[in-house]
Amino acid sequence: MSKTLDALPETKTEESQQKGSELPATDTRRDFTTKFFAGLIGALVMFIPLVSGVLFLLDPLMRKRKGEADDGFLKVTTLASLPDDGTPVRVQVIKDLTDAWNFFPKQPIGGVYLRKIGDQVLAFNQTCPHLGCAVDYRPAMDAFYCPCHASQFSLDGVKQNVIPPRDLDSLVAEVRNGNEVWINFQNYRGGIEEKVAL
Amino acid sequence: MRRLIDWADHRTGFRGIMHEALYERIPGGARWRYVWGSTLVFTFVLQMITGTFLWMAYSPSTRTAWESVFYIQNEMQYGNVVRGIHHYAAQAMIVLMALHLMQVIIDGAYKAPREFNFWIGLILLQIVLGLALTGYLLPWDQKGYYATQVATKIAGATPLIGAQLQTLIQGGTEYGHHTLTRFFAMHAGVLPAALIGFLVLHIAAFRKHGITTPDPNRGPESKFWPDQILKDAVACLAVLAVIMTFAIRYGAELNAPADPSEPFLSARPEWYFLFLFRFLKFHAVEQYGLAFGAIYIPGILMGILALMPLIARVKGGHFFNLGFMSVMLAGAGTLTVMAVMEDNQDPDFIRDLTLAKRDAHRINELASSPTKIPVEGAVSLLRNDPLTQGPRIFKKACSSCHRHNGKDGLGFDVMEVVEGNEVPALETAADLGTFGSREWVVSLLTVYPDRFAPLKNLKDENGESIGARFLEGDMASFCIDNRDALLAPENKESLEAIVEFVVAQSNRDFTPPVNADLVKAGRGIFETGTLKKGVIADCMSCHSMHARGEEAALSEDGYGPDLTGYASAEWLKSFISDPGAEQHYGDNNLMPAYGEKLSEKELDLLVRWMVGDYYHAEGSHADENDAETPPAESTEDEIPTATLGEPDADDVDDAKTE
Repeated sequence: MSKTLDALPETKTEESQQKGSELPATDTRRDFTTKFFAGLIGALVMFIPLVSGVLFLLDPLMRKRKGEADDGFLKVTTLASLPDDGTPVRVQVIKDLTDAWNFFPKQPIGGVYLRKIGDQVLAFNQTCPHLGCAVDYRPAMDAFYCPCHASQFSLDGVKQNVIPPRDLDSLVAEVRNGNEVWINFQNYRGGIEEKVAL
Repeated sequence: MRRLIDWADHRTGFRGIMHEALYERIPGGARWRYVWGSTLVFTFVLQMITGTFLWMAYSPSTRTAWESVFYIQNEMQYGNVVRGIHHYAAQAMIVLMALHLMQVIIDGAYKAPREFNFWIGLILLQIVLGLALTGYLLPWDQKGYYATQVATKIAGATPLIGAQLQTLIQGGTEYGHHTLTRFFAMHAGVLPAALIGFLVLHIAAFRKHGITTPDPNRGPESKFWPDQILKDAVACLAVLAVIMTFAIRYGAELNAPADPSEPFLSARPEWYFLFLFRFLKFHAVEQYGLAFGAIYIPGILMGILALMPLIARVKGGHFFNLGFMSVMLAGAGTLTVMAVMEDNQDPDFIRDLTLAKRDAHRINELASSPTKIPVEGAVSLLRNDPLTQGPRIFKKACSSCHRHNGKDGLGFDVMEVVEGNEVPALETAADLGTFGSREWVVSLLTVYPDRFAPLKNLKDENGESIGARFLEGDMASFCIDNRDALLAPENKESLEAIVEFVVAQSNRDFTPPVNADLVKAGRGIFETGTLKKGVIADCMSCHSMHARGEEAALSEDGYGPDLTGYASAEWLKSFISDPGAEQHYGDNNLMPAYGEKLSEKELDLLVRWMVGDYYHAEGSHADENDAETPPAESTEDEIPTATLGEPDADDVDDAKTE
């Protein structure tokens, strides 16, 4: 449209400006009504598709997580596979995954560190509570260390510097049938002090 | 506030631009007839808005395109509304464009000095048609897939560079992932950008020459804002109301996912291309090849359209143009009506449309099931669905002799061509619509000769009737000898019991479920023939039987068919593979063995369909194998008619009305 504007003589704009302001007083009311309805209907016809689209876009917010069919616990490994000295072992969490229209059976959905302490198992979500990288077990440091922003946690998951906002996210672990390690896998919101389930 | 606006105006000059945009002069006053251009811009904006939102949920690949559109349509909130608006606004745009063009021609607005704007308008027309064409493929459903095949084949008919052009458009020699990525990039990127560019030129050129007024002294001059804008807005509201009505009342169609191995015979282009589709079918057009009808002729007609401003310079040229336009419109209209009417009178088309709708409905059920869509894509759901494939296999392999509730399995009459005329084909084997149900077993025991009556039509190569071995065989004799006892009112429960025992062998899901007490009672009758009142011939003298759930065989070495697992999936597979086997009909058999004729997968799908082993959507029909009246009520000497398993009458009606 700018092309036209450039080509137009300046005077024409002024001329029409004057004309626009020189409406007879009797027409002012009619003119206002026209403007009001033109604006109102014009806004309405744009409003309807926009609002439909925005509501469509908000779909993820309205989507409730479906209740777990089981108790939420997943078998991740066996007790025998964990070292007796409490050294952390990283294992994958395998679960059926639903992603929008797709269903993927038995997919890795995350990782956890497991430590055997006596006949109990400690479990930590591997995701750093700082900004969501996966923490690394560093035997030399005897700690969990995040390679992204240097968060550091003791092997009990307690934070050891000021970088992470909270301790590593511990998960409920149970030993079932003598040898099976089951955990209640859960991801938590990152970057905040409270541990809030996603 | 005013100072802020002044400040901004000094730096941008926006007041002048606004003023220029809004205070266009309209000699003769605002009129309703000037609204068409504005409604077109409005529908384009609608498409931009809804298209952008759809873009955020659409996934272009052959295994996710249909799936993401399904998700938009059925799972996401307001997805059906947004997609519905997009779908119908596209059609509204075509209609409005035709009206706009007509008005330009009738009013002579294409004549000097507005030639360039007319040509720009024709370019916009091509872009919009391109958007319609590319958008049609994106849902990757059967209809879009097969309709677009025609368009790309037309591109392939281009002289000299056809093959290369087609490969480039498709991103390969066949349709695939890159067909979708290319079409999507065109649809959502290249074409809209081109449209915006040419639209700016179109409006700029329009403003330069001003509106074409047939009657400048009609009334006092007014301005675009607010007088004409009010009329434009009301027109846009009307257009939106129509689009919303269609979007919500009918919704955008989504057929079964594209499957190159599954023909879609009812494929048609969108209605606004139907005239071209019909034009290409004329023999007079067809004989000169695809390029003639689909490229040269439309090219020449578009060429004449483009030459209109020059033609108008000649005396009488404007009237020639008006005549040309009228002939084109009348021709396109006639061809469209012809195409629709021919389809509506074509039983094959109606049948294919019915099947297409059934598949679309079924894939909706399957994709909505708790197991959702596998990563192989929704097309694999239909390919592996017994309810979808079973009837097709039945029609192909079984329906030359058998019927399924009187039909071919798919719900249509079996026809054969006799002396050039289609006539109902003669059935020569039992109707299997209720096979394995309680009703079926009742009919074997009480109306056996009727159940197998079609065997009368079976002749050997010498024309001799050969069905007698069944129709007058031992089982027929058993039936005739004992049916009065079985049907006696006092033996109602005995009949139910023996039936229950037999159907229990199939291990199918029945509604109502198999009654264990009755099965036990039925087992006794099978063994001894002792009814509540009287005694009939027992079953185990003839039939071998290894009752389900029992260690030892109930009876062995019977000379009749072995009833172990009768009508179960395993039994059916064994029977269909080799009906002449010792444990089945043996030497009496008249049916060809299908073990070699059907693949293992086909046999599995057929059998699972027959025994009702497939996904039943919640709220859909109950088990079709058991849609029967209680055994004791079917005491007439007729085969009880099945109530289900036929195509919905509604489907057929829909097909006819559309």
